[in-house]
Amino acid sequence: MGMLDQLLHGFSIALTPQNLLFVFVGVLAGTIIGILPGLGPMSAIALMIPIAYGMEPTSAIIMLAGVYYGAIFGGSTSSILLNAPGVAGTVATSFDGYPMALRGKAGKALAIAAISSFVGGTIGVVGLMAIAPSLASFAVSFGPTEYFALMVLGLTAVVSLGGRNLVKGLVAAVIGVMVALVGIDSQTAIVRFTFDLPELYEGVEFLIVALGVFALAEVLVMLNRRGRGGARGGVTSLRLSGGELRRITPPTLRSSVLGFFTGVLPGAGATVASFLSYSMEKKLARDGDTFGQGNPKGVAAPEAANNAAAVGSFVPLMTLGVPGSGTTAILLGALLVLGVQPGPMMLTDNPDMFWGVVASMYVGSLVLLILNLPLIPVFAKVLNTPKAVLVPLVVVFCVVGVYGLSFSVFDLGLLAAFGAIGFLMRRNDFPAAPLILGLILGGLMETSMRRALQISGGEWSVFVTEPISAGLLAVAVLSLLPAVVRALRGRRRPGPAAPAPAAEEEARDRAPTPRG
Amino acid sequence: MLRVTKTHVSPSVPAPGAFRRLPGVRAAAAGAALPLLLAACGTAEGGTAEDGTWTPTKPIEITAPAATGGGWDTLARTSARLLEEEELVDQSVQVVNKPGAGGAIGWAYVAGHAGDPHKLFVTSPPILLVPMAGDSDHDHDDFTPIARLATDYMVYLVAADSPVETFEDLAAEAGSGGYSVGGGSGPGSMDHVALAGALEASGADATRANYIPFDGGGEAMTALLGGHVDAAVVGVGEALGMLESGDMRAVAVSSPERVDAVADVPTLVEQDVDFTFDIWRGVMAPADLEEAQVAYYEELFADLMETRAWQEESARLGWTDAYLDSEEFGAFLDDTREEFSAILTEVGLQ
Amino acid sequence: MSGPTTEHPGGAPSGGSARRARRWNPLSPVAPERAFRFSPRTLGVAIGLFALGYLALAFQMPDYTAVSVPVQPSTLPRWLGVALLILAVLLFFQRAPEEEAPAGPAAGTAPGSGDASPAPSEAADGGAPGEEGARLGRLEDPRLETGLFVAALCVYVALFEPLGFVLSTALYLGSMTWYLGYRRHLATAAVALGLPFALYAGMTWGLGVVLPSGPLPF
Repeated sequence: MGMLDQLLHGFSIALTPQNLLFVFVGVLAGTIIGILPGLGPMSAIALMIPIAYGMEPTSAIIMLAGVYYGAIFGGSTSSILLNAPGVAGTVATSFDGYPMALRGKAGKALAIAAISSFVGGTIGVVGLMAIAPSLASFAVSFGPTEYFALMVLGLTAVVSLGGRNLVKGLVAAVIGVMVALVGIDSQTAIVRFTFDLPELYEGVEFLIVALGVFALAEVLVMLNRRGRGGARGGVTSLRLSGGELRRITPPTLRSSVLGFFTGVLPGAGATVASFLSYSMEKKLARDGDTFGQGNPKGVAAPEAANNAAAVGSFVPLMTLGVPGSGTTAILLGALLVLGVQPGPMMLTDNPDMFWGVVASMYVGSLVLLILNLPLIPVFAKVLNTPKAVLVPLVVVFCVVGVYGLSFSVFDLGLLAAFGAIGFLMRRNDFPAAPLILGLILGGLMETSMRRALQISGGEWSVFVTEPISAGLLAVAVLSLLPAVVRALRGRRRPGPAAPAPAAEEEARDRAPTPRG
Repeated sequence: MLRVTKTHVSPSVPAPGAFRRLPGVRAAAAGAALPLLLAACGTAEGGTAEDGTWTPTKPIEITAPAATGGGWDTLARTSARLLEEEELVDQSVQVVNKPGAGGAIGWAYVAGHAGDPHKLFVTSPPILLVPMAGDSDHDHDDFTPIARLATDYMVYLVAADSPVETFEDLAAEAGSGGYSVGGGSGPGSMDHVALAGALEASGADATRANYIPFDGGGEAMTALLGGHVDAAVVGVGEALGMLESGDMRAVAVSSPERVDAVADVPTLVEQDVDFTFDIWRGVMAPADLEEAQVAYYEELFADLMETRAWQEESARLGWTDAYLDSEEFGAFLDDTREEFSAILTEVGLQ
Repeated sequence: MSGPTTEHPGGAPSGGSARRARRWNPLSPVAPERAFRFSPRTLGVAIGLFALGYLALAFQMPDYTAVSVPVQPSTLPRWLGVALLILAVLLFFQRAPEEEAPAGPAAGTAPGSGDASPAPSEAADGGAPGEEGARLGRLEDPRLETGLFVAALCVYVALFEPLGFVLSTALYLGSMTWYLGYRRHLATAAVALGLPFALYAGMTWGLGVVLPSGPLPF
């Protein structure tokens, strides 16, 4: 077990008192930065690079790993408490995390997020250790054709995320893809839907849309409801019962594995992983129809998946020199700045660094768990803030997050516009999740499709003749079948298919039943 | 296109003009409220001393108009790191990636900061090629040339187990159609021209070559590694790792003479293909810079290239030094544009 | 209109309600549950018009001709436009939920009529939070209230760079918190003055994310 030896050596580096201190500092700083909407792991790492730069490379990377995990957890925290996902990877967490918080279970939701993140990270590290070299060939087996199929599979989640009114879910998804296409086309450099505004050439920043349609829209809904039905103050204990732990264990494990392999693909990453696992668990769960209303499994699955994917994305980074996610791209930058060149030679040339990074990621996630579980009740106190104070504060945090990203007042205007759109969508039962999904996957899907067709010379059959692509598309079709059947049945018997008008909205209204 | 797609698959640094490391600097900047406000608006700011010299007043940002891991990115990060390491600047130097549209997205970003002396970007032939194809609203006339630093060359890669042995083999395959060749830039841009020009010179039908644009050489090589494309055209610097590990083979390099870093790869000229293509790399700044600011950066990069660390890095990356100052660089750009225009017309891309 | 209203948001509640009375008299203030809810017909038409506009733009998009590409940059947008148009038509013909439930003009009862559970829970909600009051805002019509809130946000954004982060945020936080009905004015002042400064210090000096400073000398 040469690899185990090397990993142990990696741990011996990561566990020196000095490096442990750096992990603590990193985790704490990362959590604080990550809680601010708009500042996710990417920004947190980028912000810490100048500080890390003066340090010894291994310690620097170890601290950055701490920042990384801290920021992911911080992002989940704002997703759960304020419905303000600061990172694409934690959007899916807010689907059930925020409703849980509305029901006074914020502590539990945060604890589930922390635990399942830790499990996801652990499984990721084990996977990395056991099969890293052979994973490189898995990573490159995905070309444009396969990515197209994967994105299609991801987009089928629209049906399960779309709530009860499929048409409205699809409208949201189509608009999400439309937003994704704004800007200069990377395949031909033709400008699309920018109205000659240079601010739109680079496209619409994901975060603006996410903060608009989730956080701002939520604030507006709260206001519209006169403050009734918002999050309840007072937080129940974060302790999970044995039964709850048992219920979230299988989704956590499954999502960790799925997330890890999705993360290994350089074109997919944590966001795709979290959406795929969320929709998979929603379909597998017997209580799948309560997803979106505060089902603990709906928090555990995406959290486990995005952390496992984060670890998985180190495979293409370390073995190919190709970053698999925005965060690893920043880490790649950090490595380059520190004079380490990741690439096919890294495992042989620089094994210390490789295993040091792996071990420190693991230590980082462990420290995070130890450090943050006691802090959860403190974070959850946010919900005790009177709404009249909380509402303007959320707006300010969104504004700071967006401005800190692009330094553009134009983007602040976009934020306000998406807030208004998100509010109108909420009021009229258009689900926001498919919009986000279309936004994230739509652009990738189009680019992959066009690249694949360029390779095949315009031959559409490649999507079904390539085995991986065909398999993924088959899964996509299969996953649509139940919904199609349901829709057909619903048409025959109109009664039950047209339930109460304001499905999701009222589910949330109803959510905060008085405790105790 | 969606920005997060970029930030997701590839990088983007969140805070332009952001890093501040030294407390002293912090205090200095804090003492100057007006520059801060103006900087936020992306307007020019005065750091010019009474004797007419200029020094940066805040962190310098070097934009790489491509994803992490490509040639531009390598140049940007190497210079940023060495500038700091060799203590040539008092400010921190930060790299920002603005990938997409063969560079046009990055240029649009820099062009939006006219007069801002803290926003440099790394540049190479696409700054000429992409505007020629009508794919960018900005060409090199919209920026201030600072210096040409080094040149790099293209390698023509195939998978290690490919039957293609020489460039002639490659040309025969590519010219017969249905043979896909990946590159890291948009159609009609640098990698494509390097391919089409070489094919044309070898007598093959360049218009039949199936060129596939990826977001950077790294992505193109990943696709070659997975067998999704049959060959790839990337810079020598980008390909070194893959060549060293034996995952890929280079059938030719576009330099006039063999390159030290890949000494066993024959040039095109050696293979009776009369074509060379060099990827010069330089640094440019937004339009409307003051003379003192240009002079500062000219000297800064000349100093940088004197350092031993630069020499080591550039040998490692397969670059050859080719310094030109601002004025010479500007003239060189104008000349090269003429030359490229001729090639493009010949190949039928213009 | 948004300018003065937000500078002194709700500064004169009576004035506000007087204006509301004038402008909204024909439509009595709607219940929160009804505000900004539209029938599938309206939504279908709105989305259909958007789809048509989008399609018009998509069909004006130039083709890429330098190299032959199997899929043009305008291809997917055209499909998307058509898909959205079809969805808009489907939406148009969906049964309106409002038509099922008799539309009580100003009845503030639970929207999902037939489901009784929301009522008690909301009643409990109203009582529980205590001193800061369950009711956010001052205007009777939630539509006007929402419009005011969005307008305040726009003013905040417009003043963000001219006034700088600290001043604009202090102004926004202070006025909104007060307007929304938080009665501990000392706490309001502390938050409105302390938080923007703390955020500014943390972001600008701590993290190097430079927020606009405005006329303040730091």
